[in-house]
Amino acid sequence: MRAWAQKKGIPYFLLFPGLAWLFVFFVVPMAFMFGISLYEGSLDTTFEFTWNFDNYSDSISTYDTQFLRSFLYAGIATFFCLLLAYPLAYAIAFKAGKWAPVLLFLVVAPFFTTYLIRTYAWQTILSNDSVIADVLRSLGLIDDRILKTPAAVIAGLTYNFLPFMILPIYASLEQLDKRLIEAGRDLYSSSATAFRKITLPLSMPGVIAGTLLTFIPAVGDYINATFLGNTNQAMIGNVIQSQYLITKDYPVAAALSFTMMAIIVVIVLVYIKFAGSESLMGEDRAL
Amino acid sequence: MRLRASAARVFAAFAGLIACAALAVGCSDLGAGGLEGPIETAEASGGPASGDLLISNWPAYIDRNTIPNFEEKSDVSVEYVEDVNDNNEIFSKLQPTLAKRDSSGRSIIVVTDWMAKKMYDLGYLQNFDKNAIPEVNKNMLPTLQHPSFDPERQFSAPWQAGMTGLVVNTAEAPQIKSINDLFEDPSVAGKVTVLSEMRDTIPLIMKADGIDPNKATADDWLAAIDKLGDAIDSGQILGIVGNSYLNDMARGDVVAAIGWSGDAIQLQADNPDIQFVMPEQGCIIWADNMVIPVGAPNPDAAYEFMNYVYDPKNQAPIAAYNSYTTPVVGVQEIFEKTDPELAKSQLIFPTEEYQKNCSPQPEPPRLQTAEIEKAFEALRTGG
Repeated sequence: MRAWAQKKGIPYFLLFPGLAWLFVFFVVPMAFMFGISLYEGSLDTTFEFTWNFDNYSDSISTYDTQFLRSFLYAGIATFFCLLLAYPLAYAIAFKAGKWAPVLLFLVVAPFFTTYLIRTYAWQTILSNDSVIADVLRSLGLIDDRILKTPAAVIAGLTYNFLPFMILPIYASLEQLDKRLIEAGRDLYSSSATAFRKITLPLSMPGVIAGTLLTFIPAVGDYINATFLGNTNQAMIGNVIQSQYLITKDYPVAAALSFTMMAIIVVIVLVYIKFAGSESLMGEDRAL
Repeated sequence: MRLRASAARVFAAFAGLIACAALAVGCSDLGAGGLEGPIETAEASGGPASGDLLISNWPAYIDRNTIPNFEEKSDVSVEYVEDVNDNNEIFSKLQPTLAKRDSSGRSIIVVTDWMAKKMYDLGYLQNFDKNAIPEVNKNMLPTLQHPSFDPERQFSAPWQAGMTGLVVNTAEAPQIKSINDLFEDPSVAGKVTVLSEMRDTIPLIMKADGIDPNKATADDWLAAIDKLGDAIDSGQILGIVGNSYLNDMARGDVVAAIGWSGDAIQLQADNPDIQFVMPEQGCIIWADNMVIPVGAPNPDAAYEFMNYVYDPKNQAPIAAYNSYTTPVVGVQEIFEKTDPELAKSQLIFPTEEYQKNCSPQPEPPRLQTAEIEKAFEALRTGG
């Protein structure tokens, strides 16, 4: 008995708090939400449970534009995050030397201000009279304004989620065994080849973790679209918020939330399949 | 290998979830609409008020000194929360608990006329004990005493009243005089916003087209919503916004908007050119009302507070601070002595002549309200 407890019981015992937490605060609410998505009716009359799967087809056909827009904006923002984050993470990991901690601190520093305030500040940064708008206008890149355009929303998303891309990439680059690059150079590889064959593959776990950490919250985000966008840049998060708080159509709101989650799960599964789950799970390193 | 295992687990989790849904349905309570039974009256105990008073009001709606002064003169300790940003939002937030006769500690909530009526019809408000509010009975502006939604002021007392019209940066767009200018003047294209409060924005659009909003049909409402949608798609109107239009105007990104009368005055601190302009076809008149929700823990203190702010000398600093229409008689006489300029303000003390074309805030036709609200929201969350 005691041997069992030591061998098998303890891992389960250690798992218990985490599992209980997940069950109470994730599985149960999720089940409730799924149940709510199958109701029919309104607050003024009553809501009745009718296995109303029409909520799903109706909400998808009504809000397909906002769904597409959300995935498009989040995808573009993730791409720009990667473009900005990789060189920065690379520089911090390999070139910054004693400045690395300072630079890392600067990456994290925006978190000392709340998300809302940071996004609010971008209203001023992008406003019509701002330096950025002036420069873009004189370069002919915009004809009128930048605030309340898709570009503003994507810029806000990119800015707000950038640290979630930088940190995982930095972590994987920082752990990279630099002797491998030296070995490559000894075997007459160019810097570019060494990067392509050694550094880049070994940093893939960070890149994949970073893209997921950026893309998933960006799809559901509604703060950036609210403050930096316009009515025609509303994302699916704005629709869900409005369905819950203004129209009070709880079943449609729940169905939308669930649909969004399902689409994200499918995208992530496909992405991991192509990118390789080993790199995410870090099996390469275990070898 | 890893992938297949984790994918299988994800799908197992989803299957489990659907199984759990059946269980959840058994205990989900989505709110079955209103409360049953007759409306209760929040009886006053007759003795002096004491204890805690939680008030929910809109932001920037009270001066700094009123609450401390009231606390000094009474035994009540006030928690004043500015958590009403939108009638629909505060309703959604409180509805689940109000349906269980619980006001989450609030004894006074301030909501606009139509929302007060809606909450009352659902049984979420209590009638006033009229004997407990002599100052309110005595000093309420006669024009506010018998609104159609609450003819005898059984359950609502105006906190402030106001007008919805044009807020214009007169240095940038002095030519804007009518709601139609917002839709037609090319020089303000892309620099115009309208309010997300549907009952302000849509009736003004109807008035500009010569329709009496209080007699409008559902088709009139929907046509006005369509007109707004077209103007947004063409880029003439920048968007449908809440209080944030104030920031947009202060920064200069917006030069003309559908807005509230008192806001213009607060913006003048940043930019003296920003002014409230009465639209040629008139404004929309509304009031935000103090109401007592079901389950309010301290009606005595609520009544004492209402009496306090309906005393003209206590109302004067509130009126001076926010420049909305004050609901209390006698404030103008005080200003004539202390601040003659304020006493002449058409926003605080609008004359009949000034408001001659204005309409009380209308309700959409009852049976089509949900449809109209949905159409407006669909516009706000842009399809």
